[in-house]
Amino acid sequence: MVIDLKRCIGCHACQIVCKAENGTRPGTLWARVLKQELGTFPNVRRFSLPLLCQHCRLAPCVEVCPTGATQKRADGIVTVDPDKCVGCRYCLMVCPFGSRSYQAEEWTYFPGDGDNPYEAIAYAGHPTGIVEKCDFCLSRVERGLQPACVAACPVKARTFGDLHDRQSEVSRLVDERGAFRLREEVGTCPSIFYLSP
Amino acid sequence: MSSIDALDQRLQDLMLPYRPQREWIEGRGLLVVVAHFFSGIGAGVWLFSLALDYDAGLIIGIVVTAVLAGGAHLAFLGRWQRFWRMILRPHSSWVSLGIALFLAGAILYVLPGVRDTTFGSAMLVVSILGVALVLLHKGFVYLVSKAIPFWNISLLPFLYIAYALRGGAAVLLVAAAAAGEVFDIDLLEAIKLWVVVSSAVLLLLYLALANNAGPAAKRSLQELVAGRLSPAFYAGTIFLGLVIPIVLGAIGSTTGLWRGLLAFVGLSSLAGDFFVQYCIVKAGIYLPIVGELPPARSYRGRPRLF
Repeated sequence: MVIDLKRCIGCHACQIVCKAENGTRPGTLWARVLKQELGTFPNVRRFSLPLLCQHCRLAPCVEVCPTGATQKRADGIVTVDPDKCVGCRYCLMVCPFGSRSYQAEEWTYFPGDGDNPYEAIAYAGHPTGIVEKCDFCLSRVERGLQPACVAACPVKARTFGDLHDRQSEVSRLVDERGAFRLREEVGTCPSIFYLSP
Repeated sequence: MSSIDALDQRLQDLMLPYRPQREWIEGRGLLVVVAHFFSGIGAGVWLFSLALDYDAGLIIGIVVTAVLAGGAHLAFLGRWQRFWRMILRPHSSWVSLGIALFLAGAILYVLPGVRDTTFGSAMLVVSILGVALVLLHKGFVYLVSKAIPFWNISLLPFLYIAYALRGGAAVLLVAAAAAGEVFDIDLLEAIKLWVVVSSAVLLLLYLALANNAGPAAKRSLQELVAGRLSPAFYAGTIFLGLVIPIVLGAIGSTTGLWRGLLAFVGLSSLAGDFFVQYCIVKAGIYLPIVGELPPARSYRGRPRLF
């Protein structure tokens, strides 16, 4: 995925649509937007940095998972098998991007009132006691659709595609504009490329 | 903490440049520290009991590792019922392999009539192999986390090994105080003093390395020596864990210690062992997700990496 920080207006649509699409529990944000400042006074710029799982090529979460619940698919997407995860949270310790979430108990927005029928349906797919993360909306991608955050971005800041394909839009953007990845020095080789703000 | 407070705290954390790690220290997360504490002690007790030929110590080592360390490990897991999945993948879970090897070897070794046989010798080797894995695992678990620079310091496994050994010696000191002269206490006292002094040197070196391991590690260090963790660090790690065992150990090596004081040294040392692990884990702070933005660069002509 390529995210153009020059286009991103920090509207949080990706964050909202991710929760709507995946029905994640309160406190779980697979997609989020950080507000950052760049430079020093008086030359300061403020920009928005959308964050999600970086689906690293050398994903440390895959290496440390004691049960093999976290796997990297052939297409590069890192997934968690909810039936295999034991909830040891080792992957949370090694992820440099804070992209994983764990919920020990069922949190609700309105304690005492329980979940409404829509929440009950959505949360049924997110059992407690295991680790979860963004999977690039795998169910959509397998149907040939874009991930929800990409489809919903009102300024088309996100582009999703095959980085192996030199003719793809994502490859073209990275080649033409130049890009950077977060925390390259850690050595995880993220597969989210950012175009400079 | 109510669910709303926990929710609020998580959202606050996500906005912080320096996020503290909470999953392995708060709430049930504390059990992972307890489990590592007991697994180290169990391994240390087993090794020292073998060296001192102390049968009761062998049993203590097995019980501490199986019941206390194993129990804490299981209770920590979000889905403990699936623990068998870890055992089925020993290459990716040193601790389950280590504990399984250790317990299998140790339990068979202490069975009556086995010890002096070839099978007994083989089981002894298996148990020591398991102990080695348990000892190594504790430090490496933290070391591999590049996301938390305070843990990503190569000296950490050695520090954990030293603390595991001194924990084992401390338990035997307490056992000796309770049961009387069942093995060479003078030898154990000398070993204990040497291990405690070694761990003090290692701890000092570790903190010095942390000071030069980047801003996040430096912040962890500040939390430890001058921040929210300083009471636990100074009272627990330094005073109980180093000052008391070293001072009383030095006195004991010249004049000998009466039983009560021997037990006090052991218990104080054990408290110090726990606090050093607690402080190191609690002080873990994640690398900021964004520091200075790196310059954009061309990936043209390079193999696409993902």
